[in-house]
Amino acid sequence: MKSQHTLYISGFIAAALMFSSCKPKFDEKSSAGSADFSRYISVGNSLTAGYADGGLYRAGQENSYPSMIAAQMKSIGGGAFNQPLFSTDQANGSGYLKLTGFDKNGLPVTAPVTTGLAVRGIVNIPGYGNVTTYTKYSGDIDNYGVPGIKLLHITSTAYGNLNGYFERMLPGEAGTNTTAYLDFVTAKPFTFFSNWLGNNDVLGYATTGGAGDVLTDKATFAALYQSLITKLTANGAKGVCATIPDVSAIPYFNTVTPALVLATVQASNATVKAIYISAKVNANASDNTYAARAATSSDHLILTFPTSLIGSTVSSPVGNVPYGLTPYAPIENKYVLDSSEVVITRDYITSYNNTIESVAGAAGLAVADMNAYLNKIAAGGILENGMSLNAAYISGGLFSLDGVHLTPRGYAVVANEFIKAINQKYNASIPLVNTSAYGGVKFP
Amino acid sequence: MKRALLIPCMLAPAVLFAQGFQVNLHGQKQIGMGTTGTALVQDAASVLFNPGAVAALPENDIQAGISPLMFKSAFNPSGSDATYNVNNKVATPFTAYAVWGPKGAKWKAGIGVYTPFGGLVDWGNSWQGRYVLESLDLKAIYVQPTFSYRINRQWSLGAGLVYNTGMVDLKKALPLTMSDGSDAQAQLKGTGHGWGWNAGVLYRPDSQWSFGLTYRSKVTTTINSGDALFTVPASLSASFPAGNKFSASIPLPSTTSLGVGYRLNDQWLFALDLSYVRWSVYQSLDFDYATNTSVLTDTHSPRNYKDAGSARVGAEFKPIPNFALRAGGGYVLTSVKDGYVTPEAPDANRLLLTAGVGYQIGRHFDINASFLYEKIAARTQTNIESNLSGTYKTNVYAPGLSVAYRW
Repeated sequence: MKSQHTLYISGFIAAALMFSSCKPKFDEKSSAGSADFSRYISVGNSLTAGYADGGLYRAGQENSYPSMIAAQMKSIGGGAFNQPLFSTDQANGSGYLKLTGFDKNGLPVTAPVTTGLAVRGIVNIPGYGNVTTYTKYSGDIDNYGVPGIKLLHITSTAYGNLNGYFERMLPGEAGTNTTAYLDFVTAKPFTFFSNWLGNNDVLGYATTGGAGDVLTDKATFAALYQSLITKLTANGAKGVCATIPDVSAIPYFNTVTPALVLATVQASNATVKAIYISAKVNANASDNTYAARAATSSDHLILTFPTSLIGSTVSSPVGNVPYGLTPYAPIENKYVLDSSEVVITRDYITSYNNTIESVAGAAGLAVADMNAYLNKIAAGGILENGMSLNAAYISGGLFSLDGVHLTPRGYAVVANEFIKAINQKYNASIPLVNTSAYGGVKFP
Repeated sequence: MKRALLIPCMLAPAVLFAQGFQVNLHGQKQIGMGTTGTALVQDAASVLFNPGAVAALPENDIQAGISPLMFKSAFNPSGSDATYNVNNKVATPFTAYAVWGPKGAKWKAGIGVYTPFGGLVDWGNSWQGRYVLESLDLKAIYVQPTFSYRINRQWSLGAGLVYNTGMVDLKKALPLTMSDGSDAQAQLKGTGHGWGWNAGVLYRPDSQWSFGLTYRSKVTTTINSGDALFTVPASLSASFPAGNKFSASIPLPSTTSLGVGYRLNDQWLFALDLSYVRWSVYQSLDFDYATNTSVLTDTHSPRNYKDAGSARVGAEFKPIPNFALRAGGGYVLTSVKDGYVTPEAPDANRLLLTAGVGYQIGRHFDINASFLYEKIAARTQTNIESNLSGTYKTNVYAPGLSVAYRW
């Protein structure tokens, strides 16, 4: 009897332990809805290519938002997704910025990465200038993101000679290419696309304070966007288009503020009352009159403005004066997106976005409203998985060291906005990306 | 340009006790019967269940038991097909009780050492909620000297003093990327102490019915000099001073239990326990760092728990005098309101099922085994503090074994 009861107790414990190994399970249901993700292609510019920290490099490409979307599509019929990656030997691609520390004022210090680059050479294109070329990529491509491309460029047959990032996807040498971007991306059949073109049609203007480039004409933008969508949907492909964020919401324009510069100057010279900028006198796009005036909180100095210029002695019509501190030597136009230029830029963005919404809507495509989303991030930030994310430079977690492009974490957040828009439009259930799995700016 | 680099206050450490942290594994006989025992005169575990029943015990008794506990939680983020499981970790709630009194005396003295609160979850450092919690190891060990007096055949009373030693070890990732791509880490580790008491009364109107009422007081446990350890990039080390300390005060709530026992005959015994836990004392969790910096500020996290209770029933069947089979079950209501559910205690209403066997060896020895299973209801939540959104499902398993010597 004794041993029998001991047996009962041992048996009881053994059964209990066996039962204890069960883990909770969830029922997963994923569906492609009315879309077909078997070949997904991404069309766009630097944001689509995975550009970050002022350069295109392999680690950035590997964390591009299209590659994240494609990975999430795998479970519901998505196919392979090839990116024109730089080789591991030339992983640093174009080169990029690295955070090396902080100076005594708590300001970030960056240094360029100059080794392991994929730079092939510099070619002079007659009538255009020098173009930096990169090691060619000859494999399959599904991510067609080309840093620098504007919507304005997509039908240009010369563009393959002017942009080194596009040139490296093409077989021919710079100077001999005749394939337009739009023809290149649509050459092979595809079933689904994402399209985030148009940012550079304003960024080129805005990042140079309105001095280095011009905004793409609104009507031209609308016509090109229509051709783009017509061609992308010609064979029945479905897709998602994204709106263009308000450029003044990004840290490139909000980190070196006039108030911060003034406060720094006043710390050593309390008599200084204002800093002066060369500003557009009105918000009329066709009137190019600039005049000196005191900067206000509505003016945006660019992130790359060399603050050491402030107060340095420069010559002026009234003799030697301190730079930026008198109306006689205002901060140059190229460093400032002034309030009038902001008004003009916003007007164009609104027009472009109306085009995007209406053209994509008419074609039955999903629209990811990145403008609204980025504005939300700039206004108060978002809280995600215990991370507080916002549009602040470095600390915000979303923007990379160039202040325009995103960190892997930022691209993951963007990927989810695309996925939500696709899921809603096509009644699909692409699983969301785990944003916690992607990092922000790397601290030394 | 100063403070261009402001790291948002991301250091709200989200600890601590939820209903999930109340551990009701206080004796193998009682666990087997659905964790009932307030009205029963079973063994030395009455030191905890009802000090009033200690003087009613027929013999002196010394016993020790352990109930290895596996808390198997899983998380499915909203809109995702991913499932994150906690790593396999075994917590070890234990009990040790002794009661003694002269033969035939009306009083008995006792002492109990037990673990009424605790938690052990390890979600790992790669799961989606790592910035909320990676792992938590929490233990409260109560030591309770007790005195019990039997007024007459029907009534007996008892009370004990409780001294708590609480230990916490919490790890979470910080959303700061190191140069190798890994996350910065925070760890809060400390030991605290607190005092409380326990009192109960037992009433046995006849040989079949028994009634018990027990009050276990709140025990506020204060950690005064815990270690706040940070692994952060070197360029940010000034913001996270080395050797930093924290203090926190944590109220472990009071529990009031009412029990009913019914002995049908020599073979069958039935019990019912109702408990009310005053979780509303847990309104916020505040951490005070000894050294504050612009990014390391003291934190105040609302918890707003509500009072909660449970109902359990159990039965014991003895086919022969020295062998017992036990079974029980119950339902436990959660104390955590919607929006406050966190991964350290993914709490929800829970169903409880238990079983047990007991065997008496000779005149003096008892060996008892128990098994507790809890099914914590699936709960889909978006936490208001972290926005971590998804569905938690949890199963709890606790096999246990105890040995006792009676004389």
